[in-house]
Amino acid sequence: MLYEPPRETDAETIGPEPVGAKANLANASLVNASLLEGRLHPMTLLLGVYNYVRRMILPLIPLIILERGVTTVVIITLMLAAGLARALVRYFTFSYRIERGELITREGLFERTERHIPLERIQEIRIEQGVIHRLFGVVDAAIETAGGQRPEAKLSVLSLREAERLRQAVFEKESARRVAAAGSAPGEASAERASAERASGEREVLIRLRLRDLILAGLTSNHVLSALVLVGTLMAFVDDVLPESFYKQIVDSVSSQIGRVAERGVMAAALAAVLAMIIFFLASLLLSITGSVALFYNFTLARAGEDLHRSYGLLTKRTSSLPRRRIQLLEIKEGALRRLFKLAALRADTAGSDFSDSGERRQGQGVLLPIAPRDELDRLLGTIFPDLEAAPRQWARVSRVAVARVAIRGAIICLAFSAALSWYAESLLGLWPLALVPVIYFASLMRYRALGYTTSDRYFYMRRGWPGRSTYILPIRNVQAVAVRQTLIDRKLRLATLSIDSAGQSRLGGPQLPNLPVDEAYALARAIAHRAASTQYRW
Amino acid sequence: MFEDAQQSDTALAAREEFRPLDPRVVKLWRTVGFITASLLMLALLVVAFITSAIHPELSPWVFLFWLLALILSLWLVYWRPPRLYRSWGYRIDDRVLETRSGLLFHVRRLLPLTRLQHVDLHRGPIERAYGLATLVLHTAGTQEARITIPGLDHVAATHLRDHLVEVGGDDAV
Repeated sequence: MLYEPPRETDAETIGPEPVGAKANLANASLVNASLLEGRLHPMTLLLGVYNYVRRMILPLIPLIILERGVTTVVIITLMLAAGLARALVRYFTFSYRIERGELITREGLFERTERHIPLERIQEIRIEQGVIHRLFGVVDAAIETAGGQRPEAKLSVLSLREAERLRQAVFEKESARRVAAAGSAPGEASAERASAERASGEREVLIRLRLRDLILAGLTSNHVLSALVLVGTLMAFVDDVLPESFYKQIVDSVSSQIGRVAERGVMAAALAAVLAMIIFFLASLLLSITGSVALFYNFTLARAGEDLHRSYGLLTKRTSSLPRRRIQLLEIKEGALRRLFKLAALRADTAGSDFSDSGERRQGQGVLLPIAPRDELDRLLGTIFPDLEAAPRQWARVSRVAVARVAIRGAIICLAFSAALSWYAESLLGLWPLALVPVIYFASLMRYRALGYTTSDRYFYMRRGWPGRSTYILPIRNVQAVAVRQTLIDRKLRLATLSIDSAGQSRLGGPQLPNLPVDEAYALARAIAHRAASTQYRW
Repeated sequence: MFEDAQQSDTALAAREEFRPLDPRVVKLWRTVGFITASLLMLALLVVAFITSAIHPELSPWVFLFWLLALILSLWLVYWRPPRLYRSWGYRIDDRVLETRSGLLFHVRRLLPLTRLQHVDLHRGPIERAYGLATLVLHTAGTQEARITIPGLDHVAATHLRDHLVEVGGDDAV
């Protein structure tokens, strides 16, 4: 809240022995440039109590229902008081400031915590504004640094203006620091300076999603596909597989309950089943669309200098600022339905918190772009990775043995399932899983064709998957380690799996190439590792 | 594959052979294995006694099973370490450290030395008794963020660590 001119910090910068005159000068100018100091917004009190009550209300509901006496009133009063006390402590003890290239937060009444976060380590600033926040013009801010499961610092709640100032101060200082650091290399320095100037200035909107796009995103999401598949298989199952007598049984039981005539029952039951499926399908469609629209409403991806800004949300508004060089890995995701319409989503790994546990999908944190036409998305890649070459035309494939391997594995599973089913049902109907074998062969062939990789001077590209497809773009400067693994079967077939590790990968892992010929895998691993060793990784 | 063919040539043809671990590590693994197996079998023995007390009719089977488990684990403790020792190896050139390991599942890990965040020299009590040490190399990655080299001679491990710290991690962090 308070913007105070630097007083004590001046003395501090002069205090220590000057190591290098230039560095010191730069440092001093940085400190004078924008010293930011602030406290939380008074709304912390109200929202703090609200959050506390929201967390505690569930165990209290039975109490409120069962006992409406004095005890309940006392307990609720005590609870409110406790919530208020916590919020009061937080409001009055929490302070933050930016000083000498660090964001410093301070908190606590009896047990005080002071946290120093070097600005150059800040990966991302996320700002979130729920419905209540919006009524009062306040936000929650979260500061992300590399690693860890949670944000490094949570500033909740700040006024909107204050959060914006914090965001600007952090990233401007970061840019300015890099200008000072790059002082020796004039070319780079001027480029950095230019970008630093732009960081404070205008934003270039890269893409803005319309309502139509979001509805399309909902319509083509994986939920819809799975619902479709479910409905399809159920219908096929009901229509073809079940014997007539089974139909009759259902119909009889249903019709006897409803009290209809048995002859008309078959039609009625079939109709009811179809109707139920259609309703189920429409409901999932509607849910998917509302989810997509509510989460990503008015999604805007913009660039200001080195930073990518995202803002989205209908009820809860979210914005995030992410320096583009913090992006470790890009993934272009084309779900099966989306590929039909040439649509794709763009996801990014950052070294910040790990959101793979469902948080990502609910809040859209790893999503750089929820949906866009594939060619438009390809156009954006150059903005995110400025040194990206043209998209690869040729993809190297893994060993052809992969097709047979996957197909045989599938066939064995089918055979086992079939055998078990026939034995159990004592009928030839149990053989129907065998009909899947050609399908599995076809799928493994398509997957083999889809799986490809290629390396350029600075990037590793990989794509995989059928009918849905993922394409990974990994800058080799972000490669942390390479591993080549062989199972027993791999060794028999002289194949291996290559995986490339980078920072901030989700638990499902990053780029992985199975079924590479083993010598090729070792050669590729060595080439990538050596290439990575000669580049510099920057946080 | 990469533009500078000369560099990738040297990269593709690994110039150095894998270095083995210190042979004493076989004894170390056997000792550690023996201790853990004994503890486990002791715990299983207690379970066996309890089971046979509750179901006396099962007791010969329970103890037979326990005896089989004992023989199997003792054999494993004796059999596995020398083979694991032979599977292990590591090599370092001027840019990359590579380890290989695994009996059933072979794994090779390659670590670009500039990605090294920090190095731990770990020595447990039994390792100390054998004069051995384990190097733990940390990167900023996720799945392969820790790469370990066990069973190094203590003095050699210290030298290796100093070398790695000097060569690696020159990133502007």
